[in-house]
Amino acid sequence: MDRRSFIFRAAGATVLAGTSSAFGHLKLFGEKMLESPPTDAFDLVAIKGGEPDVMFAKGIEALGGMKMFVKRGQKVVVKPNIGWDVSPARGGDTNPKLIAEITKQCVSAGAKEVIVFDNTCDNWQRAYRNSGIGPAVTDAGGKIAPGNTEGYFHDVSVTGAKNLAKAKVHELILESDVFINVPILKSHDSAKLTMSMKNLMGTVWDRRAWHANDLHQCIADFAAYRKPDLNILDAYYVMKRNGPRGISEEDVVTMKSQLISTDMVAIDVAGAKLFGMDPSEIRYIQLAAEQKVGRANLDQLNIKRISL
Amino acid sequence: MSLALTSIFFLDLANLVPPVFVSTFLSLQAGPSLIHALSLSGIAIAGLAVVLTATFLGGRLYCSHVCPLGTLQDIFIWSAKRNFKHRKYPYVKPHYALHYGITLVVIIGALCGSFFLLNLVEPFSSFGRILSNLVRPLIILLNNAAALLLTKEQIFFLYEIPLKGLSVSVVAVTLIFLGGLFWLSYFHGRYFCNTFCPVGGVLSFFSRFSIFRITIDHEHCIDCGLCERVCRARCIDSAKREIDFAACVGCFDCLSSCPTVGMRYSFGRAKTPVRTPHDEGRRGILAAASSGILWAMTMKQPAPSSEPTYEQTRKKPVVAPGARTVERFTSRCTACHLCVSTCPTHVLQPSFFEFGLVGVMQPRMDYSVSYCNFDCTLCGRVCPTGAIQPVLQEEKKILQIGKTHFVKEDCIVETKKTDCGACSEHCPTKAVRMVPYGKLTIPEVDNQYCIGCGACEHACPATPRKAIFVQSNAVHGIAKKREEQKLTPPVVSPQDFPF
Repeated sequence: MDRRSFIFRAAGATVLAGTSSAFGHLKLFGEKMLESPPTDAFDLVAIKGGEPDVMFAKGIEALGGMKMFVKRGQKVVVKPNIGWDVSPARGGDTNPKLIAEITKQCVSAGAKEVIVFDNTCDNWQRAYRNSGIGPAVTDAGGKIAPGNTEGYFHDVSVTGAKNLAKAKVHELILESDVFINVPILKSHDSAKLTMSMKNLMGTVWDRRAWHANDLHQCIADFAAYRKPDLNILDAYYVMKRNGPRGISEEDVVTMKSQLISTDMVAIDVAGAKLFGMDPSEIRYIQLAAEQKVGRANLDQLNIKRISL
Repeated sequence: MSLALTSIFFLDLANLVPPVFVSTFLSLQAGPSLIHALSLSGIAIAGLAVVLTATFLGGRLYCSHVCPLGTLQDIFIWSAKRNFKHRKYPYVKPHYALHYGITLVVIIGALCGSFFLLNLVEPFSSFGRILSNLVRPLIILLNNAAALLLTKEQIFFLYEIPLKGLSVSVVAVTLIFLGGLFWLSYFHGRYFCNTFCPVGGVLSFFSRFSIFRITIDHEHCIDCGLCERVCRARCIDSAKREIDFAACVGCFDCLSSCPTVGMRYSFGRAKTPVRTPHDEGRRGILAAASSGILWAMTMKQPAPSSEPTYEQTRKKPVVAPGARTVERFTSRCTACHLCVSTCPTHVLQPSFFEFGLVGVMQPRMDYSVSYCNFDCTLCGRVCPTGAIQPVLQEEKKILQIGKTHFVKEDCIVETKKTDCGACSEHCPTKAVRMVPYGKLTIPEVDNQYCIGCGACEHACPATPRKAIFVQSNAVHGIAKKREEQKLTPPVVSPQDFPF
């Protein structure tokens, strides 16, 4: 397949994915009306006090289960943060237990394939292995895919962008029916905090271009390009300082929390509050809210709070 | 066997072979082990002892059974014989004086601190460079083509490997070497081994005293000349029924070719003594040795007359953690490029003239390609010469191979007035931190914590000049570890959510 036909296929897949999820959503909404409580009504689910996998199981149940997001035969891409070659307790990468549980739930919802990848900062093989995510995914019935060379990334134009008109996006993001974004909450030297919108930086090839062209604006720009179908913010081990890589476990506080939402702005605002930072201090959140990527005012949202 | 295993070590793209296996097996490589023995490495001394004992016992067995470059030449010789049915390498009088002279020059040069000549002709390292710079890129390209096809089918068993940092000049030198080696062996048999190879030279000298040696039994010899025809070292004079055993590479083809029992590999001296070089070549050797000393003295770099300029400091190559000092490294490394092939991040790349003439093609840390993984210690564990010594992971994390220099005028925060922080993000020790700068934050370097891994330099998006970069430590230091208080979680009731 040459590049052109690939792009056509990728574009086709994206359109199909968009429409199918739109229709799927409608149909599901209908189903939901017949069933008991309209769980779809929750804009944000916040869970605390459990293990990462248990919290996710409870949280997704409150949203009506994984079948709300993953249909039989669909191809699912899961994008955790696997940026660093560090162990789970360092809080540098998304918790492997959480990724394993998400993978399992996708598989039992009937997903054709569940593929996990990140464009890592440290050496990708070491990061996949030592974060625990690589083995966890394979054991849970998913696949891990590389994101280490430019060949996997394809040019797209970002409509409505102020700074980031073009990006090279990983083909799994372009091809997949369902995109699940699983960031970890931690301090960040460049972006103050990294959460769902910042995590999308791992789906593109050239990150230096973002850093060189107003990082916050680029994060907000790209957030509008392909919104994930589901965001899960891991706040089990939270790196409170020296992020995003951290120096040692001394930087980490065990918060045993998790947030789930389809709205990246909402989940990032809630994440900042959970971390103990004023969301208005984080410029990309403000910019994304202005560009209507999502809703920043938590008071207007229907939030489900679960304590375990 | 040796060729196959050595090749696997150099082409092990996924780092599957345990380093201890690599270092144990490669301790048999005489050139690297001789240098490694200088740093009192037990395994190298053992490997060297095995090689020397074998040579004392039975001649240059090493050259046909251990040396991968020898086996490579045998493949060329075999193909020559296949292509030309009557291709043979008839006896020529060995030029011991020239060979020993070259060996002496090379050794004296190395002792005086210049590995220039040694690195050009040391057989294991030459073989390593062929694999690392010529074969490995081809394998990577094949792998990437296969990976591309499989990825289309959602099979991620193979993955693309970036082909980064290939040096045109090193590839060219290696190609020229390989071409020359092919030509020599194709037309002249093991000419390289008996003329240029310093390991061959040393072992040739030792094999003069071997206990077991190949001789021609005058009673049984029928003068058929088959032994001379199959000999790849051109050391059998079948007309005179004599063998120059010090030039014999121990392939034993002559033994199996003999239709009678006229060839013997047995205890005892030959009936006619091996010609010694002393009569014909003593003067030559002395001349070579003295010229070697003179040459090595001129190669020694003059001491810098004044403080190096800013650009010079920037360009000084950084050597891998475990090298201890740049000078120690350049006088230990034979540029086999095993570390280059092994390095999982590809930050180790061949230099060309960056170390000056003394260290042509020795590997350096190239932060434009990548940066040194904080937890990785592979290079020191595979290095066969001890130029990069093995270091423990905890030791490596504080080994300072360079210091970071920050140029505010080139920084994105200053030039574009926006947040960046890529350098600080990547820093594993937080020697680079972001500090308030108006409404923004800007990098601040504290070199007491810096280990010189180059993560900041690699990540820096500033063009055309990096705003932050590593300056080489001539002598590696020890960095301080940032010690900070363990954070305690805030006391909140489990029911509390801050929203």
